[in-house]
Amino acid sequence: MNNLARRKPSLRAAMLATVAAVATIAALPAKAADEVTPERLLNADKEPGNWLHHHKNFSATRFSSLSDINKGNVKNLKVAWTMHLGGVEGGGIWTHGGLEGTPIVENGMMYVTDGWGSVYKIDTHGGKGTLLWKMDPKTDHDWAGAVACCGVDNRGVALWGNLVISHTLDGRLIATNKDTGQVVWQRQVADPNKGEVITGAPLIVKNMAITGVAGAEYGIRGWIAATDLTSQKEVWRTHTIPGKGEPGHESWKDERNSAAAGGGSTWVTGSYDPATNTLIWGIGNPGPDWDNEYRPGDNLYTDSSLALDADSGKIKWHYQHTPNDPYDYDSVAENVLVDIPGPNGPQKLALEADRNGFAYAIDRTTGKFVWGLPFVKKVTWTKGLDAETGKPVEYDPNKSIQTYVAAVTPSRTNLETDICPGNMGGKNWPPTAYNPDLKLWYIPVIESCNRIKVEVMTPEKLKPREFWTGGGPSQPVRITGSVTAIDVTTGKVAGKFETPFPNLGGVLATPDLVFSGQPSGEVTALDAKSLEKLWEFNTGGGVNAPPMTFSVDGKQYVAILVGLGGAWDKWFIDATPELKRMQPGSMLYVFSL
Amino acid sequence: MTRHNRLPRGAILAFVIAATAAMTAGAAAQSADPTDAGKAVFKRANCVGCHKWHGNGGGGYGGHALSLRKTELSREQIIETIGCGRPGTGMPFFTRGAYDSVKCYDMNREDVGSRIPPEANTFLRPSDVEAAADYVIAHVKGKGEPNNSECVEFFGNASRVCDIYKAEQPTATQTTHSGQSK
Repeated sequence: MNNLARRKPSLRAAMLATVAAVATIAALPAKAADEVTPERLLNADKEPGNWLHHHKNFSATRFSSLSDINKGNVKNLKVAWTMHLGGVEGGGIWTHGGLEGTPIVENGMMYVTDGWGSVYKIDTHGGKGTLLWKMDPKTDHDWAGAVACCGVDNRGVALWGNLVISHTLDGRLIATNKDTGQVVWQRQVADPNKGEVITGAPLIVKNMAITGVAGAEYGIRGWIAATDLTSQKEVWRTHTIPGKGEPGHESWKDERNSAAAGGGSTWVTGSYDPATNTLIWGIGNPGPDWDNEYRPGDNLYTDSSLALDADSGKIKWHYQHTPNDPYDYDSVAENVLVDIPGPNGPQKLALEADRNGFAYAIDRTTGKFVWGLPFVKKVTWTKGLDAETGKPVEYDPNKSIQTYVAAVTPSRTNLETDICPGNMGGKNWPPTAYNPDLKLWYIPVIESCNRIKVEVMTPEKLKPREFWTGGGPSQPVRITGSVTAIDVTTGKVAGKFETPFPNLGGVLATPDLVFSGQPSGEVTALDAKSLEKLWEFNTGGGVNAPPMTFSVDGKQYVAILVGLGGAWDKWFIDATPELKRMQPGSMLYVFSL
Repeated sequence: MTRHNRLPRGAILAFVIAATAAMTAGAAAQSADPTDAGKAVFKRANCVGCHKWHGNGGGGYGGHALSLRKTELSREQIIETIGCGRPGTGMPFFTRGAYDSVKCYDMNREDVGSRIPPEANTFLRPSDVEAAADYVIAHVKGKGEPNNSECVEFFGNASRVCDIYKAEQPTATQTTHSGQSK
């Protein structure tokens, strides 16, 4: 090395000089980086023009106090600018990618991802979007795409320090320099060789990135993992299926070790209660999805909301919605943390809208059921919830195999059956929003039934990277949707805006408006109280992502990613035949007055 | 001068062309598989979307795609299935005009009624359908469990998609040509 350097001094000097020059140029225009500190993340709502967390804040309300765009003037909302993104290409079993992400905005700089995990930094100043850099993680398409059950998806980034923190479908956690777009470090967190992929956005708590995993259709044993962002080392990893000797393991009663491939994925970003240092995370379905006789017992902690100590990952409480689930009714949905005045002081609730068609309020201090109600129009799998426990009334803790309403429940003696809701829900990953002034909670609803064919599973059928579903759905019945508002003070439905197609994008709430989209292309603004439609714009592409809002240069904008991907157009399109004409796409829309 | 030089240059060129052609032909003869065109159709027409790269299909979110490894269909039957799909299932038809100008299973659109299979995203010409069928016969039908060399042959080496097969040593059962399974 030294010899070479001595022999070619001029070349070495020239290269060093070039590096120095580049560094100087890069340093000149960049102001001191806007460090995202744990304190700022705790107080994200005190920066009303910014959107710092995936779900806006640790409580996951997706409520912005910005009100320059309001019900009096929203009819004048128009496209301010758009930007074409990439990531449409296919891989594995997928013909194309889609957009499911929520843009993050900090001080006028927007960070979005495409389905393959490329991160785009866009300067939104001056009423236009300028792409500053794109970080392409070169995701291994075939490796990851072959075990992604439900599309080429990435739901966005998080910010910490001077880094953009993101995931890739092939299981990596990546830290990118916010100014330069250069990868600073990356760490393999999930293993696609085991059927594990990552689609969710990271949640940053203190100095940790919390990662969830997908793969319950491929025989994984789910987990939530915390990575120390300063040392890049794993702090804890808590499996969502308890191991031998751990509480809950007795809820897997078979002799064939079904728990080892029991599912329980965690692919939707959770929430965090700083007052008790508690993470609250939704846990996915058990596997095999539709053959519950393979896995007798309640199958903890699948289909549950799980509370964990943020520093240790230790489980504090759980609330299970559908024990021994034979329907693929996962509970991965976000828990929205709200405080409601009660007779004995504020009720501290965690709200969750489940794939099984019921909305739940749980006391987030104790994990006890407070109220629950169906938010879909048609439920056939149960006659309702027990008023005390919130369990389905047919649930029998003494039975190893739950049958609920046996006439419609998939089982080894009922090999083909129609159920409502269908296995997409109810409510899937698209996030809810909560208006703390009106105490209304808005659910993006999939009104569905579908037909389930059961396949009886045996241990020999369990193979790495192959489906482990115990059957599959088909779609003989049309699927529609709605935005349904629930009055959290009463636990009753307060209104419904019905839509011809399922809601596959999620909801944004502002003081007097609700924004949402349709897979047929429309972005819509509703009156927050009456849910009357006040504005609509057709983007011409399928909306499969949540709207968000931010302000820059003193002006409010609404942004949404557009590009139908996900599970729908591969597995569920027969229920919405008109959507077959929607073209793959990858586009950012930004609206203003 | 010019004239003197032109002749040998022409000769050299002719030699280079001939040599290159010979080398290309030689290389092609060594590596080309007559069913490569069919493999390309298998990928392009998204057969992998349900049957997977290995053809085993399997259950899943989209229902159950049949195993092409365990299929008992003949070449002619595979060709008809690709062109006409499978009535009453999700297996689409890949021939333009199937059930209209082209009869399928001796049925037209009226005969098949509501059991008409979905229309594929890509239509294939008869030669493409035959190529895909020949690929399935040569590389998929009658094979046992998928292995590393098959996987690498399909994907190349750029992806980690074949990693899970690497640990497995090729065993007698994996290399045996099971031929026609019953």
